[in-house]
Amino acid sequence: MTRLGMVIDTFRCIGCHTCAMACKLENNLPNNNWWNRVLTVGGEDMDTPGGIYPNLSKKYFTLGCQHCTNPACTRVCPVGATYKREEDGVVFQDYDKCIGCRMCMAACPYTGVRNFNWEEPQYYVGIQTGSGGAPTHKKHTVEKCTLCAHRLARGEEPACCQDSICPGRARYFGDFDDPSSKVSQLLARYGGEQLLSDMQTEPNIYYIDSRGAGKDLSIANAYKEALNKTAGSEAVVASH
Amino acid sequence: MSDSVLSGASRASETANNQKTGILKGNKVVSATLGVAIVLTILGIGLWVFQLWGGMLNTNMRNLSSWGLYIILFMLFVGLSAGGLIISSIPKVTGLGDFGGINKIAIWTSITCTLLAVGFVVVDLGSPWKVWELFAYANFSSPLMWDIIALSLYLIISIIYLWATLRYEKGKLSNTGMRALSAIALVAACAVHTVTAWIFGLQISHEFWYTALLGPWFISSALLSGLALVLIVVFALSKLGYVQIKRENILKMTKLLGVFTAIDLYFFACDLLTSGFVGGESAAVVTMLTQGPLALFFWFEIAVGVAAMFIAFVPKFRRNGAIVFASCVSILAILCKRIQLLIGGFQIPNIDYWSTTTGPHSVEYLGVPGGSLSSLIYAPSLLELGVAFGVVALGVAILIIGLHLLPLKPLKK
Repeated sequence: MTRLGMVIDTFRCIGCHTCAMACKLENNLPNNNWWNRVLTVGGEDMDTPGGIYPNLSKKYFTLGCQHCTNPACTRVCPVGATYKREEDGVVFQDYDKCIGCRMCMAACPYTGVRNFNWEEPQYYVGIQTGSGGAPTHKKHTVEKCTLCAHRLARGEEPACCQDSICPGRARYFGDFDDPSSKVSQLLARYGGEQLLSDMQTEPNIYYIDSRGAGKDLSIANAYKEALNKTAGSEAVVASH
Repeated sequence: MSDSVLSGASRASETANNQKTGILKGNKVVSATLGVAIVLTILGIGLWVFQLWGGMLNTNMRNLSSWGLYIILFMLFVGLSAGGLIISSIPKVTGLGDFGGINKIAIWTSITCTLLAVGFVVVDLGSPWKVWELFAYANFSSPLMWDIIALSLYLIISIIYLWATLRYEKGKLSNTGMRALSAIALVAACAVHTVTAWIFGLQISHEFWYTALLGPWFISSALLSGLALVLIVVFALSKLGYVQIKRENILKMTKLLGVFTAIDLYFFACDLLTSGFVGGESAAVVTMLTQGPLALFFWFEIAVGVAAMFIAFVPKFRRNGAIVFASCVSILAILCKRIQLLIGGFQIPNIDYWSTTTGPHSVEYLGVPGGSLSSLIYAPSLLELGVAFGVVALGVAILIIGLHLLPLKPLKK
């Protein structure tokens, strides 16, 4: 089995929105439609720290479809327009089938990851963006992150997880059912947190904090170690 | 057996009377109402086409509040329908006598409300021309699918029930058959509203919705609003001189109205206590209702409920005007409850930090960020109100036309 997902390192995330922009461009998203957002944990507004000076804290996390193992959305769709792909675990959306009832939006616990095209899709730029193969967006249908299904079909990783995209190297993509994958290794090394784990959805987007890695090793070395290990998670844990 | 044959014969003797109310004949008020209703329906259809053509951006629904007025009214009308049918079938099923021949009118009111509920789902859909997919690609794990099946069956059963009642009055259906059918209609009415509750009650994603109490609570609201609607229709028709209902029956129904109000408020209290007692995030629901942006709707519902119980339970308050008032405000109270449930579900986000979505991220599609208790996440736009008026007007038209054409006049005893 394949269980595709992402690991996002909130320690390395600098809140630059590059992944959100990469997603928007790659998928040729219409105006006002975002499949991946950067949220600031802290103050009231974007990029504002929480707490009271001098004890301030700031953290970011990115939010998109969690590609849950037990998705709330696929169960409620009356026509099966949103469904979990058996071959790779991607929670997919069929725009042709979607009747626009928005039941999935009500069922999804991850506030705001599902987008409805409330109008005929409009674009700030007159040309189609992305590497080609992006879905055609339709009025009055629900859409969301597909893990860049069109790129997966070509054997590529999602746009937001490309090596050249995230300046902090905070985003990793891979198969959680493969213990030798980057993402499995990172989880084994750092543990991992799922959003709203009490909602029984079993998300496949994990958030890690690699802060501890700097204690005895440089962060770079810790990553190198985690990523280069191919002998399975055991070796990684042993070296800890 | 001979008894039922005899009563059948006596029932048959009454069919000589014209059972049609003939409500449109020579009554300018009713005719004018029908005219206005038809005009409003046409305007409503126009606005709906505009909504489909110009985009649902013209509604105030957004990603963070993806349902709105249409679904609020959908819940209300399923309730009115189920309630009306339950009220008219219970006396028959239990054999405790009826409320004085208003059954047929109650069933017709129910059918009208079911049609309206379906209408509100249709105007809520982004692509209503794809409804055929519901049959082609039905996903039976969806509570919405269950509700579509339940509503369709319920509509068919209601129509059969009306037809059977007419046959029964002509002496062409046995008492046992009629009672069996009444029981089926009763079960269907309870089922349809419970399933409607499950659309919300099975969603773990919304604190306010996710409770096993929601099914029974929807039934109690249905009983209250359905009974209130039947009372209003009966009063209106007797005012116009088309039916005569015994005072005794009106009083029976008024007392029931008080009982249903009490049950509905009791369920509300149970739900709020369960949420509030734990504290923490669950208590946010209680704060939102009692002090937050939904407080107006919450306290209106409570105040009106108390007033309705006074009118129902204190004999000297049971004057006709007061009873009509209690019925009207009871329906409004249930509407307020639906508003609280729907908007309240969206008002509290699971993942906070929404204010961070100002800036490069679009607020236009997200809607008003919730989280704070200061403002409502959703209020209907003028277009939504217009379309909703159109759908309700269609219901008024269907109701009047049915009352005119169908033999719904109560039998004289």
